[in-house]
Amino acid sequence: MHIHFDPHATLAKIFGVEKTKVYGVVGEFPDAHDLVKAGRSVKEAGYTKLDAMSPFPVHGIDDAIGNPHSHIGWIVIFFSITGLLLAQLLQWYTGAVAPGKLPAWTGLGSYPLVIGGKPLYDITFSIPVTFELTVLLSAFCAVFGLFALCGLPRLYHPLDTYSQSHRATDDGFFLIIEASDPKFDPEASAQLMRSLGGTNVEVVEG
Amino acid sequence: MADLAIKHNPLLETNPPLVQGPQDYNSVTEVVSSPTEIPLNKTPLRWYIAIGITSSILGMMGLVLTYLVATGIGVWGNNRPVGWAWDITNFVFWIGIGHAGTLISAILFLFRQKWRTSINRSAEAMTLFAVACAAIFPLFHTGRPWRAAYWLLPLPNTDLNMWQNFRSPLIWDVFAVSTYGTVSLLFWFVGLVPDLATLRDRAVDNVRKKIFAVASLGWRGTAKAWRHYEAAYLILAGISTPLVLSVHSIVSFDFATSVIPGWHTTIFPPYFVAGAVFSGFAMVMTLMLIARWVMKLENLITMKHLENMNKIILVTGSIVGYAYATEFFIAWYSGNAYERFTFINRAFGPYAWAYWTMVSCNVITPQFFWFKKLRTSIPVMFVLSIVVNIGMWFERFVIIVTSLHRDYLPSSWGYFRPTWVDICLFIGTFGLFLTLFLLFCRFLPVIAISEVKGVLAQQRHQAHEEAAH
Amino acid sequence: MNLISITNTKQNGAPVLGDVTGKSYWRSLNQLADTADFKQWVTREFSSTATDLLDGNSRRTVLKLMAASFGLAGLTACRPVAHILPNTKGVEDYIPGAATFYSTAMPMNGVVNGLLVETHDGRPTKIEGNPDHPMSLGAANSFAQASVLGLYDPDRSKVVLEAGKESTFEKFEAALKAANLADGSGLRFVTLANASPTFTWLKSQVLAKYPKAGFIEYEPISHDAMREGAEMAFGTGVAIHKQLDKAKIIVSLDYDFLGLDALSIMLTKLFSKGRKLAEESEEEGEHAAAEHKDEKTENKKVEHAAEHAAEKAAEMNRLYSVETNYSLTGGMADHRLRLKPSEIVTFARDLAAKLGAVPGLNVMQPATDKRGKFLDALAKDLKAHSGECIVMAGPKQPAIVHALAHSINASLGNIGKTAIAWASTKGEVSPLDAMRTLAGEINSGKVQALMILGGNPVYTAPADLNFADAIKKVPLSVHLGLDADETAMAAKWHIPEAHYLESWGDGRAVDGTATIQQPLIEAMYGGKSAIEMLALVAGTKDQRGYDLVRTYWSGQLPGKDTTAKDQAWREALHSGVIPGTKTAESKATLDGKSVGAQVAKIADGKGFEIAFYPSSQAYDGRFANNGWLQELPDPMTKLVWGNALLISPKYAKDQGLADGDMVTVSKGNLKLDVAVMTQPGHADGCGSIALGFGRTVCGRVGKGVGFNAYAIRTTNDFWSGDGFTITKTAGKHVHATTQEHGLMEGRPVVREAKIDDYKKTPKIIEEMNEVPLLKSIYEDLKYDKGNQWGMSIDLNSCTGCNACVVACQSENNIPIVGKEQVLKGREMHWLRMDRYYTGDENDPQVVTQALPCLQCENAPCENVCPVAATNHSPEGLNDMAYNRCVGTRYCANNCPVKVRHFNFLNWHKTTEEVQKMSFNPNVTVRMRGIMEKCTYCVQRIQETKIQIKAEARAAGKEIRAIKDGEIKTACQQTCPADAIVFGNINDPNSQVAKLKKHERNYALLAELNIKPRTTYLAKLRNPNPELG
Repeated sequence: MHIHFDPHATLAKIFGVEKTKVYGVVGEFPDAHDLVKAGRSVKEAGYTKLDAMSPFPVHGIDDAIGNPHSHIGWIVIFFSITGLLLAQLLQWYTGAVAPGKLPAWTGLGSYPLVIGGKPLYDITFSIPVTFELTVLLSAFCAVFGLFALCGLPRLYHPLDTYSQSHRATDDGFFLIIEASDPKFDPEASAQLMRSLGGTNVEVVEG
Repeated sequence: MADLAIKHNPLLETNPPLVQGPQDYNSVTEVVSSPTEIPLNKTPLRWYIAIGITSSILGMMGLVLTYLVATGIGVWGNNRPVGWAWDITNFVFWIGIGHAGTLISAILFLFRQKWRTSINRSAEAMTLFAVACAAIFPLFHTGRPWRAAYWLLPLPNTDLNMWQNFRSPLIWDVFAVSTYGTVSLLFWFVGLVPDLATLRDRAVDNVRKKIFAVASLGWRGTAKAWRHYEAAYLILAGISTPLVLSVHSIVSFDFATSVIPGWHTTIFPPYFVAGAVFSGFAMVMTLMLIARWVMKLENLITMKHLENMNKIILVTGSIVGYAYATEFFIAWYSGNAYERFTFINRAFGPYAWAYWTMVSCNVITPQFFWFKKLRTSIPVMFVLSIVVNIGMWFERFVIIVTSLHRDYLPSSWGYFRPTWVDICLFIGTFGLFLTLFLLFCRFLPVIAISEVKGVLAQQRHQAHEEAAH
Repeated sequence: MNLISITNTKQNGAPVLGDVTGKSYWRSLNQLADTADFKQWVTREFSSTATDLLDGNSRRTVLKLMAASFGLAGLTACRPVAHILPNTKGVEDYIPGAATFYSTAMPMNGVVNGLLVETHDGRPTKIEGNPDHPMSLGAANSFAQASVLGLYDPDRSKVVLEAGKESTFEKFEAALKAANLADGSGLRFVTLANASPTFTWLKSQVLAKYPKAGFIEYEPISHDAMREGAEMAFGTGVAIHKQLDKAKIIVSLDYDFLGLDALSIMLTKLFSKGRKLAEESEEEGEHAAAEHKDEKTENKKVEHAAEHAAEKAAEMNRLYSVETNYSLTGGMADHRLRLKPSEIVTFARDLAAKLGAVPGLNVMQPATDKRGKFLDALAKDLKAHSGECIVMAGPKQPAIVHALAHSINASLGNIGKTAIAWASTKGEVSPLDAMRTLAGEINSGKVQALMILGGNPVYTAPADLNFADAIKKVPLSVHLGLDADETAMAAKWHIPEAHYLESWGDGRAVDGTATIQQPLIEAMYGGKSAIEMLALVAGTKDQRGYDLVRTYWSGQLPGKDTTAKDQAWREALHSGVIPGTKTAESKATLDGKSVGAQVAKIADGKGFEIAFYPSSQAYDGRFANNGWLQELPDPMTKLVWGNALLISPKYAKDQGLADGDMVTVSKGNLKLDVAVMTQPGHADGCGSIALGFGRTVCGRVGKGVGFNAYAIRTTNDFWSGDGFTITKTAGKHVHATTQEHGLMEGRPVVREAKIDDYKKTPKIIEEMNEVPLLKSIYEDLKYDKGNQWGMSIDLNSCTGCNACVVACQSENNIPIVGKEQVLKGREMHWLRMDRYYTGDENDPQVVTQALPCLQCENAPCENVCPVAATNHSPEGLNDMAYNRCVGTRYCANNCPVKVRHFNFLNWHKTTEEVQKMSFNPNVTVRMRGIMEKCTYCVQRIQETKIQIKAEARAAGKEIRAIKDGEIKTACQQTCPADAIVFGNINDPNSQVAKLKKHERNYALLAELNIKPRTTYLAKLRNPNPELG
């Protein structure tokens, strides 16, 4: 089950990412609620730069380790409005703007055509396309925004070097005290971790 | 809203539990991942046979399409007055099937329906494959696909410097279907990322590990990532819900906004959506039952899942039946002679056989699911799910062809007969659909591992609590 | 193709001047002709990919294509410019690409129809009627319209054949010389009935050389009974001219004068005059005179239109039709009586008796059944309208019926009023008897040389003469024909005939008015005309058609010196009629005795009766290879690509026969296997079958299409006969019809009212619409600027004759699709003729409706096109941008009247080079995969506009408005009933605007708020109150 070959480390070398400084201390906990409990205690111990690894989103972990809420929603709303306006612009311009109305360099022109005795542009028949484009842009934004916020795609993560990291996507629950934490001290932090029942506690470098 | 759902929704009782058998996180991982990890040379022969058959059907479709484009639409049975027949019937049929996936993953997610987790992955995959099948027809039903391919998109063009006609429901369709396809794909992939990471971390051989390392975008499952992930997933579900409702509504506009009696009906949008969900669930059911049996997923796809799906089939089926009745009533009540004739002609005209096939498959069949015994019997639900899809194909055929073949002027009345090309093309789409599905089952986790673990965690937690008190 | 015709023009030696113009014309083309581009484009233009090029390509390509076609026209067609004159003012001035009109005449069945032929770059492309000609009066029937396709028929015979082998004309001349004809006692000529003075003159020349030679004018669709009947009644040679416009009561005894008759165009014109409601014809008159009239009085007049209509409507004529099969005449009739052929004769006798037209004759059948009531009411009605009614018998009826009709007219004092007598030469022996004798002579070896000049007797001659075998016994048998047909195969020699559009000739209209038939194009295959053949035999000094005609007429034309005669000649060519050639009116006194004597011989029919009638497609078989006609739906059965034995639904039920069942019809040793088809309104106990099908030696189009009715047509049962046995046999035949459903299902599609009801409440038409009107959520667009095109179709005048359908096909390059595709419902006619039955299935009435695109202002088709390929022009046209269309067919689905036609396949795949010469260069030939539809002949609208612009520029004046009636659509132009009116509805003085204000005006499917620009005038019937 244990893997000797670590692709991420290799890739890291290829891409010239050198293992230099300490990333933090990682410890494993048996189950989700144990993880939450441990997390809370560590936070109470005054640590602020905490993180966790789990095969699925563990409920309450964010509060426990003081993770702020995601702001992705605001980004999405902005893009939805863009999509809405874009769609309206498209349908108004292609339907109702006679050639020459816009500067020539645009190279675009449209034929305002009388079709079925209907107006050249009207809100009524522009609704469906507007809705679809709004949704489309929102979706793109939600997905790529997510990747951006999570720093994906990434081919190397310091935690890749943690011996148990492969189990984070299987059945492992891990708590991380990051080196950037002012209270961080490899020895003490690792000790704290063990005292809370953490196993496989390691100091991860990278 | 969510809380309400939790309180009042009986589906939430986790007894019997949604994940059965002696399960821990690792065993879930094992059960789902291991089938994808069988080396090619150890792949069961039946899989090779299956994909051999489906892919050759797919190849046949390729040839038929080539013949179609080279010769012209005349190789179909379409005529004047029946300008659309099997082409658009198939299109609506497949789009309809494509509705279950997003519905399950989006709407049921919003309603906190935990039981969805075992089926949403494959349901979403089916959505994508169904949309792929549907997408064939809007392009290839045109007389000049080589032009339609880009003239239907709002690209600045030098051919005639003309733009699309945004008054046309067909253009709405182009936007709706392409948006739906794209969003479904994104939604599906986002759900897939953590599981791809799982496969990466389980991968033994180098190549496989590299492939999944890239595919999973280097997902690590840190809390920092999960919090964005959950937010984004919620948003996707939120926008997919109106989207999935809009798509079939817009497809129904193709007919509802026309002047043809039998098409020009305001009831169409809700009626089409219900029908879509109806057929979609039936198709999911058919494939689930096979996958469940072949891949031994009985513990993850439990009778409870199947029963819940049957309940939805029963509800949507009844809605569809109600819609049929309403159509007839309004046709009579409107006092519009043309409307009346169209519906009488549907039931008793030259296409009566199609109409009654539709009614017996769609209205009568689902009523069996009132009985728990039938609702929970695998063979019964397997047969019925297939019957329902036959019925739903006929529904589209009846709406399109019977309305067209006898419209306003008796002088232009006609009759439609399919040709071998029509038939081969329809069969061909199943080749495409099943080939993709077989590949999916073979190489990707058919069940959302991380989500099931989430449910499992909740179960364990509850057990833990109970133990505590 | 182009190469062939170059060599041809060389061979035949085009007239000197013609050559010169040809050469100079060449020079102008040199630059173009030498470039590789040119050759490439020529081939491209005439390859099936031409439309690919036209589609989505730069203007430059299109220009090149135009240049190519222009160049090719120069190559292919080298018209002898010097001798023929356009019908336009001034001297001919050739403008490449611009259409030029020439007057000529189409000889058919013993008369000629005066035509104007549109030519593009020397290619005749479109046939119109010549307004100055007394028989066409500006209209042309479907046969004339389609004849231009016959000119370019790739299967036309191109070479001289000797015993079926290719030979040369020189060899034939030698053979003719070699034959020792002596006094000509062994020389016989079989020709079609013709009215060519030059022919008659040359005939005399031949008789001068061979005194004992014999001439037979055999016409399978013969009008001999008419002549014989007149002689029987009046004792002398008399032709009765029917003044239908003066008749209030018109009785047709099996006379389809609105449909398949040589005179039908003229008679339809006259009939519809009497059918038009008075105030409409007034308006026509006025609008011609008064261009600028102040609107106030106009509108007032229109307000009163209703009252006008009411009082004037009474003057509409009343048509009674007695017939076996359902004909167009029967369809228009206010009262129709269906009888077996034999019963029609007895009916005529009884009618004469009832009216005391023939002394000592009394009614034999009691007045109990429908027939009796009909007879009584009719007799009363005729009596009441003495002097302003007319009884006519059809050519299919025996002489006695004609004689009885004449007696009735005489007794009612119609002669000289509604029936005008013209002096006519008393015919010698009837052609049928002549044919009998000929067959005898041949079999007895008396005939050494048989010259068949036109026609196809081997196929059309009565079966009992067994002409096919007979002709083989003749040492020197010669056939002159357009096609290498059955006769060509049987005869020793076959000479390609020159099409009437390729050859010089002349002919007389029914009233004697002569017309010069001038060629529009050099004979493409060097064919000969009948007069040229006669000249050859007679050995006259002139041998070429032009010289012959010119020589003859220089003797006839007025003018003392040659210059004057030349002037007269030029005018004759120019106007298409020769003034002062009209026959004089004459007296006709009835000879009652001979009629009485003949009446005694009338016998009742026994057993199953068969009636033959000319096909509306192949006529007598001569048009069998004409695709336009083969795919032209029969006006009543809507049958295309074939014929059938028509029987009544009742008879079918009794005999257990269904549509498509095969039966064997036999009498004596003659038998015919034919498929039956039920025809509502057909007489019981008899069947009708169209002639002209089942050709065995024919081109690719007509070969083996339908069943050959000539197989059971004998000299005795020439038009009809009794005592046939009909037995059902195994096997089914599939009939292809363009209209599957013939009932209106109670929908107000064709609106029809009895004239009295309409008099009482003119609103009745409008009120026929039950469905509530839909409203638009958008405010309606205003179409109040400039020209706003609209059309009005008068269903009261429309007879359903199909002329418009072919005219449209010819004008707009509409392809044919073949039987298989018609069965799939893919026929392409932009303008279709709908036919509905009303009333009892066994004895229904018929209404027809010409249905082009309605050009809706709120067009449902436009809304749904995703790429805006169909949209509205500022002048209110529902345009199609062919090269934008991607072919979703959504527009066709959403068209409530289904007048949009999709190119399901490449219909031009099999179009040959020569056929492409018939295309109208102003109309795109549509490619596979796109939609097409009626355009209101937009090319004609644009042509007129350009013309006006050019004139204005030339004159330095500003552009004038288009005059009403200046633009005519193809269908309108050719309509013999003047049922179609097109014009600017924005101009209150225009005829169409006035008609639209009319009480009878209604819009089809107005309830859908589609606002059609094409509207209809409801049909009125004028029934006899006694018959209800």
